Amino acid sequence: MNQSRILVVDDEPQIQRFLKPSLTAAGYEVVEAATGAEALKAVATRAPDLVILDLGLPDMDGKEVIASLRGWSDIPVIILSARDREAEKIAALDLGADDYVEKPFGIGELTARIRTALRHRGRSEAIPTAMTVDDLTIDPVRRLVSRGGEPVHLTPKEYDLLLLLARHAGRVVTHKTLLTTIWGPAHGDDLHYLRVFIGQLRQKIERDPTQPRIVRTEPGVGYRMTEPA
Amino acid sequence: MADDDRRDDRRPDPDALLALADKDRRGKLTVFLGAAPGVGKTYAMLSRARRLKADGVDIVVGLVETHGRGETAALLEGLELLPRRRVAHRGRMLEEFDLDAALARRPRIVIVDELAHSNPEDSRHPKRYQDIEELTAAGIDVWTALNIQHLESLADVVAQITGVTVRERVPDIVLKRADDVLLVDLSPSELIERLKEGKVYLPESASRAADRFFRLGNLTALRDLALRRTADRVDDQMVDYLRQNAIDGPWATSERLIVCVGPDALSEKVVRVASRLASALNAPWMVVSVEQADREIGTAERLQTIEALFRLAEQLGAETRHIIGNDFVGEILKLARREHATQIVVGVRRRSRLARLFTRSLAEALSRRAGGLGIHLVTADRGAKRRLAPAWPALPVAAVLSSVLTALGFVTATTLLGQLIGLFVDLPNISILFLLAVLGASVIGGYLAAFVAAIFSTLAYNFFFIDPLHTFTIAAPHEVFALFVFLAVAVVAGGFASRIREQAEVARVRATALQTLYDFSRKLAGTAKTEDAVWLAVSQLQASLKRKVALLTARDGELALAAAWPPDTDLELTDLTAARWAFDKKEAAGHGTGTLPNSRFEFRPLLGPHGIVGVCGIEQAAERLDLNAERSLSAILDQTAIALDRARLAEETTEQAARLEGERYREALLSSISHDLRTPLSTITGAVTGLRELGDRMTAENRDDLLQSIEEESGRMSRFVANLLDMTRIEAGTLKPKRDWVDVADVVQSAVDRTRKYAPGRAIETGIAAGLPLIRGDSVLLSQVLFNLLDNAVKYGGDEPINVYARRDGKDVLISVTDLGRGIPADDLDRIFEKFYRRGKPDGRAPGTGLGLSIARGFVEAMGGRIHAESPALKKRGTRIVMRFPASGEDKDSIR
Repeated sequence: MNQSRILVVDDEPQIQRFLKPSLTAAGYEVVEAATGAEALKAVATRAPDLVILDLGLPDMDGKEVIASLRGWSDIPVIILSARDREAEKIAALDLGADDYVEKPFGIGELTARIRTALRHRGRSEAIPTAMTVDDLTIDPVRRLVSRGGEPVHLTPKEYDLLLLLARHAGRVVTHKTLLTTIWGPAHGDDLHYLRVFIGQLRQKIERDPTQPRIVRTEPGVGYRMTEPA
Repeated sequence: MADDDRRDDRRPDPDALLALADKDRRGKLTVFLGAAPGVGKTYAMLSRARRLKADGVDIVVGLVETHGRGETAALLEGLELLPRRRVAHRGRMLEEFDLDAALARRPRIVIVDELAHSNPEDSRHPKRYQDIEELTAAGIDVWTALNIQHLESLADVVAQITGVTVRERVPDIVLKRADDVLLVDLSPSELIERLKEGKVYLPESASRAADRFFRLGNLTALRDLALRRTADRVDDQMVDYLRQNAIDGPWATSERLIVCVGPDALSEKVVRVASRLASALNAPWMVVSVEQADREIGTAERLQTIEALFRLAEQLGAETRHIIGNDFVGEILKLARREHATQIVVGVRRRSRLARLFTRSLAEALSRRAGGLGIHLVTADRGAKRRLAPAWPALPVAAVLSSVLTALGFVTATTLLGQLIGLFVDLPNISILFLLAVLGASVIGGYLAAFVAAIFSTLAYNFFFIDPLHTFTIAAPHEVFALFVFLAVAVVAGGFASRIREQAEVARVRATALQTLYDFSRKLAGTAKTEDAVWLAVSQLQASLKRKVALLTARDGELALAAAWPPDTDLELTDLTAARWAFDKKEAAGHGTGTLPNSRFEFRPLLGPHGIVGVCGIEQAAERLDLNAERSLSAILDQTAIALDRARLAEETTEQAARLEGERYREALLSSISHDLRTPLSTITGAVTGLRELGDRMTAENRDDLLQSIEEESGRMSRFVANLLDMTRIEAGTLKPKRDWVDVADVVQSAVDRTRKYAPGRAIETGIAAGLPLIRGDSVLLSQVLFNLLDNAVKYGGDEPINVYARRDGKDVLISVTDLGRGIPADDLDRIFEKFYRRGKPDGRAPGTGLGLSIARGFVEAMGGRIHAESPALKKRGTRIVMRFPASGEDKDSIR
């Protein structure tokens, strides 16, 4: 098996201390870095497949690391962040981080995120064939959506929204990304559009719109579509 | 243009609408107006009240005098009566209207009889109409009753008609502002009939006066006055209505009166006449007095007369104004034009034929230059005493004497000089020398000296220099002429010179006053704090008024004495109540005002640009403040108000900044705490989940390491939580250390053992002096302190050994913990004991919690000890924390 190499960037020795044996046991090769500069160097020289990045680093801001990384690499980045650093986390996602895990986290949660991120790596963002989540089927070629065999009628915006989420299935998509992609760059802050359209979409595609299982809310960050089983 | 004006007039008059809006917030005043006692005002009032009560209106009786009349008393049945205030007055118990009870009860309508009543001395207001004003201001409707003879503007007319001087008077403005005036009318013959039947109550003592009063003629005249007044009001209301509704109407062209008064007896009559004229014309009116610009403001008596006139005029509804200028007529006309006055009212004094020949009266001068203005002349009553204020203020003897001596000195000197010069040269115009003497005397001694010098000079010139010499006779006729010319020139020149001197003096006084004020405002501008500003203000006020001064400012809604001069000035309850009143109503209160005049102080509100900032109390003496003092008082108060306002704003800004600072601090603290809790929690969660999910794929060594990290992190977290709890206990003041005998050596050993357990491999050396005395304290707390200090030494001390020493120093026991790490810069030595202070990155990257030393200090101080830090400790490195506890005086051996 082609072992994936993961770069863990964190300055807390305690975090490194439990991440390394756990990730190794999960079948990954672990490379460690304690500062932003080390991390950038490691990405360039060690060619990892994925980066786990703590946002609070002693030498530079985690956001800076992502920004300079994205200048030359599309390597998946998963952020380790804290609940009280919400703004930083969203900024990092908007800068191009792929996903995030909130501290404290379980190893299972982290490895799931790693798997999703690695799967998407190197694949084009388009869905070549139909995908099915729960009892919902999306066919981007024919632009058809059906639930349990019954066609679902979506407005063009609702369809665009669904498709965008589907392309990133399993990963979080921030409010800003959704708004600027679907409504345009001028609407980056019009959160109420999203609330309304997501609400309508859930009415049409969810079994129980009050307990959504397909399009899930990431409070304060964005939305995440459940990955096809 | 005329068309424009008419269109303008058709719009509702904004002032009229505003007046209406203001009225909406106030309670309504209804006056039951009667011509004389006994016409049935109270009866009418109560009958109406019963009807409203039956309709469910909340109406109560605040005070009604039934005077034992059965039919009136019967009407009170079923109406709610407010309790009365019992007041001891000259040995008798009086029952008075209880204003506070009415305000507390807050009915929709309250009935308070006898508007003209005077309250006993200790009441809040001296007059009942002031009580009623407070009630309406509080939004309560009031019904009251008034006899026409009590109206201020009619006082002289009533006295003329009936021969009875009415003492209890109500200002016309009260009736004018009433929302409703209901005339209670009864024909005079019926009234006399009722009087004979004993249905009109009159105090026995007044029965004789009453006989004179209740004559058919008097009553008819009074009824006429009452009817006219009511009719005038109806007329006014009609005009108001037309204006508010923008109806073109035949309302009177807007007349405006200017009334000139001076400090003479006639002026009071002028004011009363003008008031009647103004109310007949429905015109606003302004009473003015003109002060000469270059004269020192007149005598106190003069000013008091004018002040009294102004108060009367204000009560009658006039505006008042002092104007200053040299040209009386010009100033009055200027004001008239500025105020768009249409008529001027002046009094005409009777003057002697001679005076009429040579000078023009004010009235004549006005009429020559008035150009289109109407002029009303008010003449003095025949036989009225000419009580004019003396043109020359009575001169004190000392001043006269000094003037005469000055004149004498100058004239003598001049005579001697003339004689001396005469010895050498023949001077033809010796009189020029004497002119010099007169001018000299006038410059030094003023007008009187000039005058005396002129007389003396004439005599001396005649005696010593005009032939025949040494007699007062004159030989040559042209010399006689020359002498008279000299006298005239001397008097005029002396007059001018002394006038110039006076003006210079006035200018000097004004300049001094201005300078004082300027200095004050400059000093005030330099103060940023409220307390500095108030002290400056009171000392300035005391210096310029020579009265006791107290300044009160509001803090959190409570008015409190901020400064007083002299500083031990005490305020009594009455004073404080007056101050509170002045603050709440933004009006002057206390001595000399209509509210709580029993207070020793007059309180004036300090109104700054952003509302009221406080009140200033000025102790009132027998003499009122003169105009100059009044002017500087209001200037100082204005300045103070602005300064206090500014200081308040500045303080609010500072508080705001402090709050922001506090918020930032709390934020940093929160993020620090959350970081300190999160890192161990993340480690534990990660390690546990890793073990559970992937443990079977790990090496035994890795598994063991994860378990160990869980143990360590749990320990770290529990220490942090314990620290937080300790800190909370210190902060909350619930820390109660025991006062046991503590053996320092024991405690040191236990703390060192504990540290070694969590930091094995660190060298810790201890040195405890033999025979160390016990200290009083709490061994658990002391052990925690030592552990915290050791913990710090482990973290910051590099890999060098840590030293713990304990020894005796005089009466104290010293315990020190020394590391050999990087040490602490001198600037930070004190700050390290602050809560959440950490040397290192502020985002909490340093390994500590920032609580250890702060807790150490809290514990040590709670045990009565002291703690401080020294750095460098040894060889330019390291830190030493030293604790010092008082020794108990007993060592453990003596106890054993």
